[in-house]
Amino acid sequence: MMVLKFGAAWCSGCLVMKPIWAELEKELPWLVTEYYDYDESQVIADKYQVNEKLPTFIFLDKNDQEILRLQGEASKTELLKIITANKDK
Amino acid sequence: MLKYFAILLLSLSFLVMPVTSRAADQVTLYLFWQEGCPHCAAEEEFLADLLQKEPYKDRVNIQRYEISQPGTRQVLQQFTKKLNFQPAGVPITIIGDKYWIGFGESAGTDVAIRQQLDQELNNLPATEPTTDKKPLLVNLPLLGQVDFQAWSLPALTVVVGLLDGFNPCAMWTLLFLITLLLGMASKTRMWLLGSAFIVTSAVVYFIFMAAWLNFILFIGLVFWVRLFIGLVALGGGLWSLKKFRENKDGGCEINEAGDRRRTLNKLKQAVYNQNFLLALVGIVALAFTVNLVELVCSAGLPAVYTQVLAMNNLPSWQYYGYLLGYIFFFMLDDLLVFFIAMTTLRLTGISTKYSRWSSLIGGILMIIIALLLIFKPQWLMFG
Repeated sequence: MMVLKFGAAWCSGCLVMKPIWAELEKELPWLVTEYYDYDESQVIADKYQVNEKLPTFIFLDKNDQEILRLQGEASKTELLKIITANKDK
Repeated sequence: MLKYFAILLLSLSFLVMPVTSRAADQVTLYLFWQEGCPHCAAEEEFLADLLQKEPYKDRVNIQRYEISQPGTRQVLQQFTKKLNFQPAGVPITIIGDKYWIGFGESAGTDVAIRQQLDQELNNLPATEPTTDKKPLLVNLPLLGQVDFQAWSLPALTVVVGLLDGFNPCAMWTLLFLITLLLGMASKTRMWLLGSAFIVTSAVVYFIFMAAWLNFILFIGLVFWVRLFIGLVALGGGLWSLKKFRENKDGGCEINEAGDRRRTLNKLKQAVYNQNFLLALVGIVALAFTVNLVELVCSAGLPAVYTQVLAMNNLPSWQYYGYLLGYIFFFMLDDLLVFFIAMTTLRLTGISTKYSRWSSLIGGILMIIIALLLIFKPQWLMFG
């Protein structure tokens, strides 16, 4: 499983999510995540149709198929639950 | 409500009364009043009662002017120029060369008016009015006896200021500025630039609110202005509730990106300018622009607050004192975020979810104030 994280410097919700993801990535070293700044990664943002709200987190399976998409802020517990449930996908 | 109808009936009765010429032994009392103003209604009741008694009966001629009626302002201006005072509220009572702004039996205005009438009638020296106010004491659990009248306006200042402060519009600029500042080698430069942004933001807000307050005081407490502010507040409140309902997961709308990106680039240029003075000027100019533009985002909270403030007929120093208090609570979250970041060298953002809940509380508060402004303005006059 892989997580694509879309955020922007002008979005305070994205800034709030940064330390939460940093903690998760430290606790789950096997977790693969990629961060994309919305303003600098327009092509990939368009590809994944990120066009409503930031931050957006897209959970992909091994075949790069979207499992789940989260928009806005999420708690660490909520993210951990989703990651654990989809770990082997 | 009874007072409201009383003043309406009194006004109507005066409309149908035949106009009589003023006798030489009559004293003229000029009364500038406003529909819906409880102090005006109280004065009308007092005058109606007084004029039934000797020696005032048939010897006092009352000239009434409803403040929102065409031509009233011109008449009032003549008096304000002649007697050199600011018409900071209603009712305004003028007898000879004496005037009173506001009316309250507990404040002694009734006594002062009666004494002035006596003086005018008997050519006796005047007595200065007293300004003592009767407290409205309420027993509250834990807090004990609280003077409701004395604490209503300070409480409103704290609540509205804090709610306005949680408005995320200007906060994102500060957060981004902090991320830029945290990467700096010079701590002094970091503190100075950040403080310049915070101080300028506070000054811009203060200037805006003071200008708005003076505008309202200048045009007078006109019914149409109050109605307009009430409708703006109603719209702003409904918009805040809509935002609360729609933005359940917090987050930032992407359609806001364009303007913010431009601001960020300017912020970067300002912060990384080698010349400190130019950087400082850049930050101040940017803080000024951002806060002015983002004022729209506050959904009218400052405008509504200043309208309520203007209705309370306060001395100038109290008006500005309340505005400073509002600004302090408005800036409190920014100050906390800034000082925590500068001392720990780590950025702590305030979740947009808090902003969402402040939208709900702010929206409800705005709707309540809006309805009071339109239908029960006297409830917002705390003094």
